[in-house]
Amino acid sequence: MVSIFDLLKEYIESGRIKLDKSKIHHTYTVHDPCNYVRKSQIAFGDNYGELSRWVAKQCIDESLYREMCEDYMNNFCCGAGGGAWAMPYDEERLAYGKVKADQIKDTGAEIVIAPCHNCRDQIMKGLPKVHDMGNYHETLYTWELVAKALVIEPWSQEEIDKAHAERDAQFERDGVELEEEE
Amino acid sequence: MGEAIKVDRKNRKIPVVPEMADRCYTCGTCGGGCPATGLVPGWDPRKAIRAIVFGMEQEVIDSKWPWVCTLCGRCQYQCPMGIQLMRTFRACRTARARDKVPGPIHKGTMMNLERGNNLGIPRDDFLFLLAELGVEMENDEEQPCPGFYVPVDKEGANIIVTINSKEPFGEPDDMKFWWRIFYAAKEDWTVSSVNWEGVNWGLFSGDDPSMKIQVARVIENARRLKAKTILYPE
Repeated sequence: MVSIFDLLKEYIESGRIKLDKSKIHHTYTVHDPCNYVRKSQIAFGDNYGELSRWVAKQCIDESLYREMCEDYMNNFCCGAGGGAWAMPYDEERLAYGKVKADQIKDTGAEIVIAPCHNCRDQIMKGLPKVHDMGNYHETLYTWELVAKALVIEPWSQEEIDKAHAERDAQFERDGVELEEEE
Repeated sequence: MGEAIKVDRKNRKIPVVPEMADRCYTCGTCGGGCPATGLVPGWDPRKAIRAIVFGMEQEVIDSKWPWVCTLCGRCQYQCPMGIQLMRTFRACRTARARDKVPGPIHKGTMMNLERGNNLGIPRDDFLFLLAELGVEMENDEEQPCPGFYVPVDKEGANIIVTINSKEPFGEPDDMKFWWRIFYAAKEDWTVSSVNWEGVNWGLFSGDDPSMKIQVARVIENARRLKAKTILYPE
């Protein structure tokens, strides 16, 4: 079992992926999902507050980073945690999220990095509908940010041919037929 | 004058042991720092804990409180007496009758047990979608990834990854973020064709048996396919 942060750290530090910090020029902040930080600390005795920020800073220049909460163990929930995004209490969920919206506004950041599906949906699709979030204009998953900053080097012809052979065998086995080949 | 409250310490839905609630000094640290305070009239974390201590747990269980609370754990982390508020409020969710669980999280949990994912996406549709998106990635104008495909049920991969069903259901392009990273890293990875769900709604609905089944499936997939590592991007 490996967390997304541990895996991304390994990829970045070992040079398995290359990131270009000059692709994005917007100010950004990092949200702390309860499950990756506080609840991880409570349940497992460790948390990803530092590493989550570190990964983001490998993708956009650190000078553009704006801290949302120095004390990440006490950062606030987005308001949609615990399944609340899917629950019918929209009014309460959005009122709860005002704390998060105010935090984001206070940072002055344009991009919010959210390493959680649920937090991302609340910050991207929920909060901007009802709260003033200042300079904010978009939310990215941590792995979405990494994918944006990624320098993709195409594989060699040999690698491509091998992958195509494996793919074709898999499609044959599973009965997958695509209308148009390549 | 009303009658004094008699606290039945034996027959309780939410067990009151010192770790759960008995030690509460009613200091209000929990409620003071909780964004949900005031959202459900009559309730905040401190009041809910006091109600449970006094044997009024059914009122808490029947209220919206344990569901508007997002189980963020901030109260529990700060409680000077070490009371496990988050665990207690989740126990209130567990004590709610299953047909009274708000929203789709219980229905989704049952759907998951029956069909392998919370949204009931059929296997063939899932595999076809992965195949189509793979071709799109190969031919992408901005970031072409020649040779990319989604390895399904590949034995002995380094990483097996779960999928959040909302993505194949409604936001399929969002799966490509991880896939581009795997492509660039030349990762040896795979996805299971069955029980690939990464979202565990039993955790949120307070349904421990279903939650454990969901976790066991993720592990079972890894064992069946002899994958070395589970990546759980939730």
